[in-house]
Order: sequence, then C-alpha cells, then structure tokens
Amino acid sequence: MLGFGKQKQVTEYEADGESERVYHEIKQTLRVTGINLNFRTWAGYEKFFPAMWDAMRPLAETRAFETAADCVRAEAVRAADKLLRLENQSRAALGESQAYQLRAALDLYQYINPKLLVFTSAVKLALDGAQPERGGKASADVELIERGVPARMYPMEMVSSEPEEERIKELFEDIKQTLSLSSINSDYRTLALWPDYLSAGWKKLKPIVQGDEFKRASDNLRETARKLAHTLPFPVPLSRERLEELGEDADEIATTTEKFERLLPSLIINIALFSLDWKTPETLVQSPFPARPRRNAVQGGAR
Amino acid sequence: MNWREFQSMQRVAELGDRFISYLDEGTGEPVILIHGIPVWGYLWHALTPALAKQNRVLTPDLLGFGYSDKSDCFDRSIARQAEMIDAWMGELRIERAHIVAHDIGGGVALRLATLFPHRVMHLCVMNTVCYDSWPIEAMLQFGHPETRRKLSAASAITMLKQALKQGFAKSPDDELLDSLLVPYTTEVGKLSLIRNAAALNTNLTTEITALLPKIEAPTLILWGEDDLFQLVKYGERLARDIPGAQLVRVKDARHFLMLDQPDEVAEHVSAFLKGEQVETAHAG
Repeated sequence: MLGFGKQKQVTEYEADGESERVYHEIKQTLRVTGINLNFRTWAGYEKFFPAMWDAMRPLAETRAFETAADCVRAEAVRAADKLLRLENQSRAALGESQAYQLRAALDLYQYINPKLLVFTSAVKLALDGAQPERGGKASADVELIERGVPARMYPMEMVSSEPEEERIKELFEDIKQTLSLSSINSDYRTLALWPDYLSAGWKKLKPIVQGDEFKRASDNLRETARKLAHTLPFPVPLSRERLEELGEDADEIATTTEKFERLLPSLIINIALFSLDWKTPETLVQSPFPARPRRNAVQGGAR
Repeated sequence: MNWREFQSMQRVAELGDRFISYLDEGTGEPVILIHGIPVWGYLWHALTPALAKQNRVLTPDLLGFGYSDKSDCFDRSIARQAEMIDAWMGELRIERAHIVAHDIGGGVALRLATLFPHRVMHLCVMNTVCYDSWPIEAMLQFGHPETRRKLSAASAITMLKQALKQGFAKSPDDELLDSLLVPYTTEVGKLSLIRNAAALNTNLTTEITALLPKIEAPTLILWGEDDLFQLVKYGERLARDIPGAQLVRVKDARHFLMLDQPDEVAEHVSAFLKGEQVETAHAG
C-alpha cells in the first residue's frame, strides 16, 4: 500500500501562511487551476515544502521543464495507444454540457500530470544527491514560459475523498486497493463528478492496469521522466542534509517522494486511456495548453 | 425531474473564455428563466413543463453558478451576467425573448430591460432584488473572502440549507434543498458561490432606478408576499415605477414562490406570456 507519509494533507481551503503562498506560486508557475495530491501531501511537511518549492521553482518555469513534460505526455499517449481501448459506452449517456466539462477535466490532468512526474523525479534526484547533468553548467540563455492559468482550463473540481454516496465510496475503495493507494488521487475524484462514467471506465481499466504490458509501459515512462529530469538546466539546491537541518524527517520525505514517482506514470497512462475515447492519439500527443515564452523573460545561465 | 436528469439535459455554449450550461426545451417564442443566488437553473424545474407546452424554454445557469463556468477570477456581477445573457442570445441567434427571473436573476432582468431593451419581449420578475433591497445579511457574510477558510464545503452547505429554509412558506424536504445546492458541494463549487456572493452590489440596481420608467416591455411582478428576504414593499415600488406593470401577490408563499405555489405561478406566467389578463384576485 502506498501510504503518503504520516503528515496530514493540506487542502487548498485549509492552506494559510507559507503553504498558501506556495500554493499560489505553484498554480501560477505550473499553470494549473488546483493543487494535486503530491503537493497537498508535501505541504504536510511545513519546513520542507517551501524549501522544496523555492529550490524547484527556477526549474519549473523553464521551457526545458515544459518540454520534458511534453515528451512524457507524448510517450504516455503512444503507450496507451498500444493498450486496449476503454471504449467507455457510458459516455454516450452524458449530456452535452457534461461531456464538454468531462473533456475539459481530462485536458487538465493530461496537461498537469506529466509536469508533476518530471517535477517529482527532479526532487527525487536531488534527495538522492544526483544533480542534473547540465545543472550549474548551463551557459546558454534559458527560456522561461508564461505564468498563469491558461484560459479555459477546467477548475480542479473534485468530490470529497470521503464521499457520502455509497457507490462512489465503493469505487474509490476498489481503485485504492487495485492501485495500492492510501489516498485517492485528484484525477479520480474529479472524474467522480460523473460517477456513471468513472464507474464504467474503471471496470474496463481495472484489468488493463493489472497486465504486464501496462506495468512495462509505466516503468518505461518513469525511466523517461528520470532521464529528462537529469537533463534539466539548473541544479536543485535540496538534499537530505538540508532537510535534516530544517528538522524534517528526510527518510520519510524521500520515501513519500519515491512513492509518488512510482504512482504517477500509471496515472498518466490511465488519463491517456480515458482521453483516447475522446480524441485521436495525434491530437493527444500535443500539449492541450501550449505555453508561450514569457515576455522579456529570457534569463542567462544558472542561478 | 430530479437534478441529475436536469443536469444531463443541459447543453453548453462558449462565450469567449467562459462557458455556460443551459436547458433548452419546447418550441415557440423563446422564454428565458433566470435564477438567483444561491441556487441554479434547477430552481425552475417545476415551472418548465407548463411553459414548454407553449414556448421554447431556455434555462441558463448564470456564470459561476450551477454547472456553468466555476473557474476563479472573473466578474460575476449582475452587470456581467446581463452582458452574458445578451451575448448568449446572440450566440443562439435569438433576437428577443420573454424574460422570467427571480432574486438576483431579477436584477439581471431589470438591467436587460433597461440597458438591452431590444432583447426583452415580456418581463416577469419574481421577488427580485431592486433598488437597495439587497444584498441580504446572510449573503454579505457568506461573500466574505475569509469564508473559504472558515467553512468547509460540507459546513457551507449545512449553513446554506438552514438559510434557504427561511425562503419557503412550507418546510421543504431535504432532497429539494440538496438538489438546489448540489453544484456547490465541492470546494470549487463553494469558492465559486463565495465569489458570486462577493459580487452582489446594490449599485448595479440603484444606477438603473432612473431608467425603470422607460421600460416598454409589458411587465408582471410576482411576489411571494410572506418573503423575509425581499420584502413586498419593493415589489410595490417597482409596480409604481415601471409603466403599466402589474403586481400580483402570491399568498402562502415566501421567497421561493415558484416552489411554494408552482401551479399558481405557472398559471400566472403562462397567461402573461400569452398576453392574457393575469388573474388579479391578489393583485396589488
């Protein structure tokens, strides 16, 4: 079971002080409408969280980081395309507005999840003491991408992690058990806004995620993300020693981070599988929210 | 019709960077039903079948409400909502429509009738906000930015359910209250409703007071006469200010008159839209 540390998650509405500041920064820098489970969990480590973000932010706003996530997304779509299609018939029962919003929700996660994986891999590398190959040596100008939530990105709306509705509760339990999760991810909580759709989709998805081909695809995606994180332009000034100085449990944080790195590739492929019911692979390999360069924001070298 | 059926029938329209969800039923002259705060288009579910027998009934969720766009950081004022209705009508190629509206939806309707008069055929407002009749205390408190931290979505729903009960003459069942508030049960929904409440602005009705006597659309003012949120004296004042307007007091009804007395309200609205004389037994 993938337990995510002993600390309590910090939800967006509970966040204040440093957590609130960092949550705002995350949404602006990663260009996303909400805060995913990774960050909500990391935020439980009060000293680590802002230190980790301050160390990672310079990387997260670069074109190199965005491009790395684009590569992960494209590989996930190609891998999902080789697996069985969900062909979720319940989508036909959705109304026009429901289908519109569901597609927008899939675009949201299709965009952010690959970024989360590259981000997590970079944090893990730093905690393992392995710095990016180019880190500290980047002499060429590094392009920064625009900040802010893209127009038309769906808000990260989701049902409660402890839903009252019995069938959603059972569905979440099944997902958690099958994927060895201790907490249900934002993605499934969002898809549960359309419970018939998620329920039918999960029935099709469950045997797929238990197959060897899916596991191989997930492992490959994780390897890709690690390699890409290794080629990012700046060093990440974060280490176990730094965490200990901050009075945090470095081992627990490293373990939590590793678990996220293990979980995210399968989640990315799952979202790609759901999305393939709505869009062609050729469309899905493209970023749903391409980032323009930040105006007047080409900065030189490492900081 | 339960709320899930209602939601599954909603269509969608993109208006710039925003989208709205709406129901589109029946054929005939278009009538647009505009809800208030803190509910959504489902408010009209009891009235829709009667009106759809003779009209094309369009029921939008206002921006930031129901299953329309609930992303953060945009204007949800009644001024913006009126512009949105105008743009949406353009998108649907509807030149003019009958407007039936309640609560802040009534504020939107009054702005349409005064600032976009070419869009309005008949105007029917029910227990509408007007002049300086609003915002009510409960919504002012709810719209405070700190509410997002003080109340979880579940606590907010509990609080709103208590407040909504005051809007009914007969105690409503839990299922109805849950259905009226269901889009706001998530944290995103809660925040969106807080933003909607924060956008309530009395200036947006006081600034059109001088224009009310210029309204040319035939106007019916329906008022649940026992309303504690919007007092009937405001309906009386509107009836004096809008030329030819007819005020009908609905007995045994409070703020949510279309749910307290659905048959009577449907009868009045249907007759009015057909151009018939509205039964005046309780007319003011």
